Amino acid sequence: MNKSKLYTWFKLFWMFLKINLLTSSGPASVGLLYKESVGKIMTESQFVEAVGFSNVMPGSEALKVAMFVGYAAGGLAGALTALLGSALPPTVSMLIVTLAIKHFQDEPWMDGFIGGMLPAVAVLIAVVALKLFRSEKNASKRSLLIAAASLAALAMGAPAPLVLVGAGLVGIGLFR
Amino acid sequence: MNILLQLFGLFLKVNLLSTSGMASVGLLHQEAVGLFVTESQFVQAVAFASVLPGSDALQLAMFIGYNAAGMPGALAALAGSILPPTLLMLGVAALLHRLRREAWVRSFVQGLTPAVAVLMVFVAWKLVRKTELNWQVLSLGAASLIAFLLEAPPPLVLLAAGLAGVFLLR
Repeated sequence: MNKSKLYTWFKLFWMFLKINLLTSSGPASVGLLYKESVGKIMTESQFVEAVGFSNVMPGSEALKVAMFVGYAAGGLAGALTALLGSALPPTVSMLIVTLAIKHFQDEPWMDGFIGGMLPAVAVLIAVVALKLFRSEKNASKRSLLIAAASLAALAMGAPAPLVLVGAGLVGIGLFR
Repeated sequence: MNILLQLFGLFLKVNLLSTSGMASVGLLHQEAVGLFVTESQFVQAVAFASVLPGSDALQLAMFIGYNAAGMPGALAALAGSILPPTLLMLGVAALLHRLRREAWVRSFVQGLTPAVAVLMVFVAWKLVRKTELNWQVLSLGAASLIAFLLEAPPPLVLLAAGLAGVFLLR
């Protein structure tokens, strides 16, 4: 274990701590990550591969990109360092908020605050759903078919995980 | 002990069947509301996961895990969320080029995406259906829709809606 390795790990940890403190996950963090890592840690094509890979594989997008970049920079230990740096800000901040909500839950203004956020949350979920659907390229008819089938299944009360796995399996059959 | 295993399993499943935190809220609502958290707690989880910086998936796990079973619950939920991407990464370190050419993984996620989108709309509808649709709620919804369509940052929109709620909903 020499000094330059330790330095790489520390830099990775710090970089992902910073990115995850400054951005909510999604496109914004990818932009910041691009500026921080391309040319310094990895090449542009490696970065494109990392982002593309994260979109295709299941699991939290931010964590996958972090581990991919960390791996390119410092191997397995680099990947784990990047993971730790990415996981700390969201978990610690959310723990604080969770405790704060518990503390304030009997205050009357808290009801209004949550009640006011509810319609915005519902709209946000629908908007993200729409974006997700539109991100499906050049397969619109098949995607629509799967969407219609899933809607029918959900409306009939089919369990959600089953519908999702089914849709994925249909995808294997349809998208070749 | 049992509830910890359930939480771990739930978040394992949710993170295997979605590619990002926000995309997972559809499934999460179906599986967690009523069992681990109330509808109102779920709204808080999604709202604050969007408002706070960092991975939404981990924030949802932290909030729901903590409310279901305290700190051990939060840790179990986090472990379930972190495991799938980590194992994938470890596997991929050796197998990336083979995996990427395995078209079925990509096709599975492509097929999954429209279903995830439909499930999310379904859940958005469920959230609204249970609240009383007075003019305050409707105008907050309309205002946030316009804000999102104008590409306003979601954290700001959610916080503003919450603050407006403090004054409007009494």
